[in-house]
Amino acid sequence: MKITYCTDVDRSVVLSNFEKRGWVHVGPDDDWNFYWAGIQTCRSLFSIDSGYRMHDNQMINHFPNHYELSRKDMLVKNIKRYRRELEREGSPLAKRLDGKYLYLDFIPVTFVLPADYNLFVEEYRKVGPSTWIMKPVGKSQGTGIFLINKLSKLKKWSREGKNNNFNTSTIKESYVISKYIDNPLLIDGKKFDLRLYVLVTSFRPLKAYLFKSGFCRFCTVKYNTSVADIENLLIHLTNVSLQKQGDEYNSIHGGKLSIQNLRLFLESTRGKTVTEALFDNIVWLIVHSLKSVSYIMANDRHCFECYGYDIIIDDNLKPWLIEVNASPSLTSTTANDRILKYKLIDNMLSVVLPPSGIPDVRWNKCPSREAMGNFELLIDEELAAKDKPGPSTKIDLKDRLKRKT
Amino acid sequence: MEELKDKSLHLTAEKLAEELQKMDIYNEFYEDLQMLAASQDVSIDDFKKTLVQAVNIGSMETNLRNAVFHWLRSHGNNKQIVVRDEITSRESLDYLRKAQITWERRIQKSLESMCEEIGINLSCLRSSADRDEMLQKWNELSTYNTSLERLRPVYAPKDFLEVLFSLHNPNYRMISDDMIWDFTYLPLKVKTLPELRHHYRDLATADLLLGLTCCQCLTTLSCGSTSQGEQERIALGEKVLQHQHAPVCQEFLKLGAPRSLRGKLWAQILGSSVKTSEQHYSELKQRVLHFDMLIDKLITKDVQLTACNDDQYFVFEDVLHQIMLCFTRDTDVLSVFNNSTSHPILTSLKGKPPIEAIYPPNGIIPFHGFTMYAAPVCYLFNDPVPLYYTFRAFYLRYWFRLHVISSHPQSILGLCILFQRLLQRHETKIWSHFMSHNIHPIRVVFKWIMKGFSGHLLPEQLLNLWDMVIAYDSLEVLPLLAVAILSFRKDNLLQVNTLQNVDSVLVDLSSLNVMSLLQLALKGPIKM
Repeated sequence: MKITYCTDVDRSVVLSNFEKRGWVHVGPDDDWNFYWAGIQTCRSLFSIDSGYRMHDNQMINHFPNHYELSRKDMLVKNIKRYRRELEREGSPLAKRLDGKYLYLDFIPVTFVLPADYNLFVEEYRKVGPSTWIMKPVGKSQGTGIFLINKLSKLKKWSREGKNNNFNTSTIKESYVISKYIDNPLLIDGKKFDLRLYVLVTSFRPLKAYLFKSGFCRFCTVKYNTSVADIENLLIHLTNVSLQKQGDEYNSIHGGKLSIQNLRLFLESTRGKTVTEALFDNIVWLIVHSLKSVSYIMANDRHCFECYGYDIIIDDNLKPWLIEVNASPSLTSTTANDRILKYKLIDNMLSVVLPPSGIPDVRWNKCPSREAMGNFELLIDEELAAKDKPGPSTKIDLKDRLKRKT
Repeated sequence: MEELKDKSLHLTAEKLAEELQKMDIYNEFYEDLQMLAASQDVSIDDFKKTLVQAVNIGSMETNLRNAVFHWLRSHGNNKQIVVRDEITSRESLDYLRKAQITWERRIQKSLESMCEEIGINLSCLRSSADRDEMLQKWNELSTYNTSLERLRPVYAPKDFLEVLFSLHNPNYRMISDDMIWDFTYLPLKVKTLPELRHHYRDLATADLLLGLTCCQCLTTLSCGSTSQGEQERIALGEKVLQHQHAPVCQEFLKLGAPRSLRGKLWAQILGSSVKTSEQHYSELKQRVLHFDMLIDKLITKDVQLTACNDDQYFVFEDVLHQIMLCFTRDTDVLSVFNNSTSHPILTSLKGKPPIEAIYPPNGIIPFHGFTMYAAPVCYLFNDPVPLYYTFRAFYLRYWFRLHVISSHPQSILGLCILFQRLLQRHETKIWSHFMSHNIHPIRVVFKWIMKGFSGHLLPEQLLNLWDMVIAYDSLEVLPLLAVAILSFRKDNLLQVNTLQNVDSVLVDLSSLNVMSLLQLALKGPIKM
């Protein structure tokens, strides 16, 4: 049987992977097995109006309501709710110390504006002088982001943008405002964030994989916290699309350092124990962010999704979840980038496809170790439930609590 | 007999005491001794005995032992069998010495003509505006603006290789000029594979070698936590470091370093951690700020051309600029000329009367890629000071041999010959394949050897390799690895028949595991 694919993106790393597998390109109205779709296409396909029903041998690369995770405001809401629920259940996970969650404090304090404006002001007054970062919820690649360090600035901004009052619900675009991580880990004085790829093949039971070849994205300009430089986003934001515009951008390496090299540097300069703890905390953060939405996601068996996780590490080696992208960039800025992304797609396909290579929703979604390639298993609740001594048990609460104490 | 032995012991002790006074640690050591003498542990009544006792108990004895160890290493460095006079003790082969002198003259001329072309002086005082700018940008020198456009590296590895090819042994009659590249006409003795096996026996026979399994896992999820063997190695390594005995550290390193201990182990073995280094480093900085030299531009250009464009090292560009500039001002580096054939360039400085001065102050003219000797060390230290001194110690002990013409077995010539012998004897198929297509094997690997593989392997693998250089105190591991790599890629190499295609088979070495390749080469499955 020839496998047919359909796509509305024009990314060579994607297409060349399909071609390598000998798949045949067809249009959206033909009988396709595999749809690599943009978010919009996917949304309209799943909408009630379209009336499209997928059959057993079809697969698509997004979950219908991925925005629960990928929209900045939704992510925050879901994580806050998840914590509250755990607390209500009396779960030891939701333990607090001085008001802060001990184990679930992995996103910076965040409010949605305009809705939470009063809450934000209250918090702002409580913590005193501090820097906050404003991001429009619906935009990506660093557009519309700015930093503020005075309440008056926020008020001024809200006046300038036609919306004269934050408390009205007439504002079209909402923002999230987060406490700025002003003590990021620096390497040779430069700030960076991590881009990790997480593949989810099912939310209930949760099955997720982490791609080993993540990378760090560096700012081209030295970090400093001086107020004068608060408007120079080249210092503060790591988005490649933004850094590319800077004079210092280098197109050979594109400001990207492999995560293996980061690990080498950290282990050599900071020690093994703290570095291992950092990476374990990153895994912890990813798993719980996914768990926070696992009951809200429409767990369609035709779907899988690869998320781009943006994480910032502070100088105490604590990781912070900044945001999750449902369609991480597949453009290649450098030669290595191309190899990495080609491999990402290749490994992704081999994880989501059954051994036969033909999409099939009846498959139990348990890829062999070989099929996982550069992915490592983060969590598989089904395997864990069977009480197999598999790697997924590592995420166990008991284990976690033991290590924390 | 006993008496003689006593006497020689006495002489050695005297010599050592004399040498000790010249060393970096002497002041520190002397102060410590004064403190100790004034402490309660030492009584005035039995001064000598109690003082010796106190020295034995504290860390002073360890320091002293380490000092002797480092002294021995740096002086045993260049033992030649026949010592006739001072000059020949450095180089016994006349024609090599002459070739080195000619090469140095060429470099000097090239520098001078570059100055003329661009219209600048070899060195001059830095203008105060420039000094201020530099000082302000000291921690972000990559943004320090200096015009480098018309500058080119003085020479590249392949230029140096041509120089080596042009060496001529007057005692040897060439049958044909075709074979000029295989260096058989040079009477340098190199180790055979069995001899290498003996030298690297710990590496060859080790069951547990750190760095053998190249675990790419990010987390402890899929590969489980650290293996028990590795944990034991780390615990042992910590214990070894506690005792601070350099020779013990060296012994420990023979089976590889845990990442978290590597920096400390290297510094200990190379003797690069000195208390006064902070102050010395800031003196070097002052010297950089004070004078503006052509060499600064050259070194800046080199950092830009190499590390800044390298996806493994670009994050360290600023600190590299800094330490490489300091390096050019470091007159302690001149000690390499005590036991090497080469001489620093002398230029006459303007003034009355004109005086001859060594140029640049450290005597080293960087070639294209010189920065790569320092770049990998950046992974080990967050602070530029220990980073600088470890890089410097490494250079002073090993790297300087890779860009001079000398008959020392560890020199670039010796290593090239070792490579060729190994390849010819143990990878005959590759050798004859290259022969039949007129490919010079040394051209394939020269850049690897000259840069100690820096920039060609992943940092992790490179550090594993450099561990072996320090631990076995020899650069012979470089040609050994070069042969092992060719051997490993044999099937692909045999299918191509131009140098260009050979290079493309070998351009990406990122999948290689150094330790297992070395073990493979030493254990002997290199077949005929």
